[in-house]
Amino acid sequence: MSVPVSQMYTVASYVLQQKLRRRKRYPFVLMLEPLFRCNLACAGCGKIQYPAQILKKHLTVEQCLAAVAECGAPIVSIPGGEPLMYPDIDKLVAELVKLKKYIYLCTNAILLKEKLHLFTPSKYLTFSVHMDGLREEHDEAVCRDGVFDEAVEGIKAALQRGFRVTTNTTLFDGASPLRMREFFDEMMDLGVEGMMLSPGYSYSKAPDQEHFLHETRTNQLFSEMLSKPKRRWKFNQSPLFLRFLMGKKDFECTPWGNPTFNMFGWQRPCYLLQEGYAASFQELMDGTKWENYGKKSGNEKCRDCMVHCGYEATAVDHTFSSLKGFAETVSVTLSGKL
Amino acid sequence: MSFEGWVPQINDYTSLREVVDFAFDYRGNTTVVKRDGGEIVGYIFNREADAPEAFIQLFDEQGDGPFTIPYRDIATIKFTGKDPAAGNSWKAWVERKEKERALRAAASGADRLGRDPGPDGG
Ligand code: SF4
Ligand code: SF4
Repeated sequence: MSVPVSQMYTVASYVLQQKLRRRKRYPFVLMLEPLFRCNLACAGCGKIQYPAQILKKHLTVEQCLAAVAECGAPIVSIPGGEPLMYPDIDKLVAELVKLKKYIYLCTNAILLKEKLHLFTPSKYLTFSVHMDGLREEHDEAVCRDGVFDEAVEGIKAALQRGFRVTTNTTLFDGASPLRMREFFDEMMDLGVEGMMLSPGYSYSKAPDQEHFLHETRTNQLFSEMLSKPKRRWKFNQSPLFLRFLMGKKDFECTPWGNPTFNMFGWQRPCYLLQEGYAASFQELMDGTKWENYGKKSGNEKCRDCMVHCGYEATAVDHTFSSLKGFAETVSVTLSGKL
Repeated sequence: MSFEGWVPQINDYTSLREVVDFAFDYRGNTTVVKRDGGEIVGYIFNREADAPEAFIQLFDEQGDGPFTIPYRDIATIKFTGKDPAAGNSWKAWVERKEKERALRAAASGADRLGRDPGPDGG
């Protein structure tokens, strides 16, 4: 696994503090969406289908920072839309670095090369580049030819300037385990710090409803893809989450683990489902009927969901909840065997 | 299925609560018709049906807002805006790619035929 020690230490001490305070529910990663505008229109995306006046709007830096303060999570992920199209992205990132938040700026990297001068390399800033596979698979997933090559150019430029770069990959039905293994090799050859994987979630608003993965197929795909992992492959996520995707662990969702803030407010209940908005983080935590979500709830929207924003927080919490969980994480991390 | 163009009548079979739920799920603009005859066009992003005073929230066509409107002031909601979630861009994309691949394969086959030396080397 490839998360730097300082980041691991920050996350570990944060989780332990929450446990000492006996907080039953606490956020782990804030998903901060400053805008919904994007320069792509991927078929599996449920984030960009809005009328023009909404796509033109964006949060102010002050609104973003207020949300960061309210939430208190040690990691801030900035998805979108495309955050590099946010006019104040440089100011936002600089402020978050000052606050010592670990930032994952999730980008399709089309604009990365031309916008790099806006940023300064820092251990707190990672460009998390959307890469859904090798050239053919990626261009197909993002519905435009040439995007893979542009993203590779962006990654190379960012690495050259000393930025932290990871990739994030959403896997849909029909993904080939062998091609994905080649993809892991190619990303490692490029020199990225680590890779993040997640199965897709069937957004009711996404045009492509036929290619999302269901649980058994998810287990099968991830088992084949990650069996005998090469030592050189580095994953920038909890090894227990990867074991969960392989069907080796049974976790329940932690919907409050990755709370989402955007121009509509605090999204209930999670990054994926939009069932309403709370005006404050506290209202989100106190006023959401959490028992209605996750597999055990029987909610059909959650039935096949194994997405990282619901389950990675569970995996991290599991690591710090018992000696067994901690030992398992350490053993998988050291042995490299998932 | 898209609700685009739907002008629901609130009656014994279709409740305002249902219409609001559909409008909340709709990704295009709608027109909220108020009981006093006024209309406001915009994107409904929130609704709280179980609040002590049930309400919807929207940004209007100019992006101004959020405006809060209680359920009791709403006569109906018309699905007047284009539905940006409708359509099937994945299918269209895959079909286009397949056509392109077929064309490329046909072209390279023809090309090979044109350039391949025959069995006699000629
Ligand atoms: S790049 Fe990301 S935000 Fe943009 S359309 Fe694709 S999935 Fe959606
Ligand atoms: S199971 Fe998935 S869809 Fe359901 S609450 Fe958790 S993250 Fe959201």
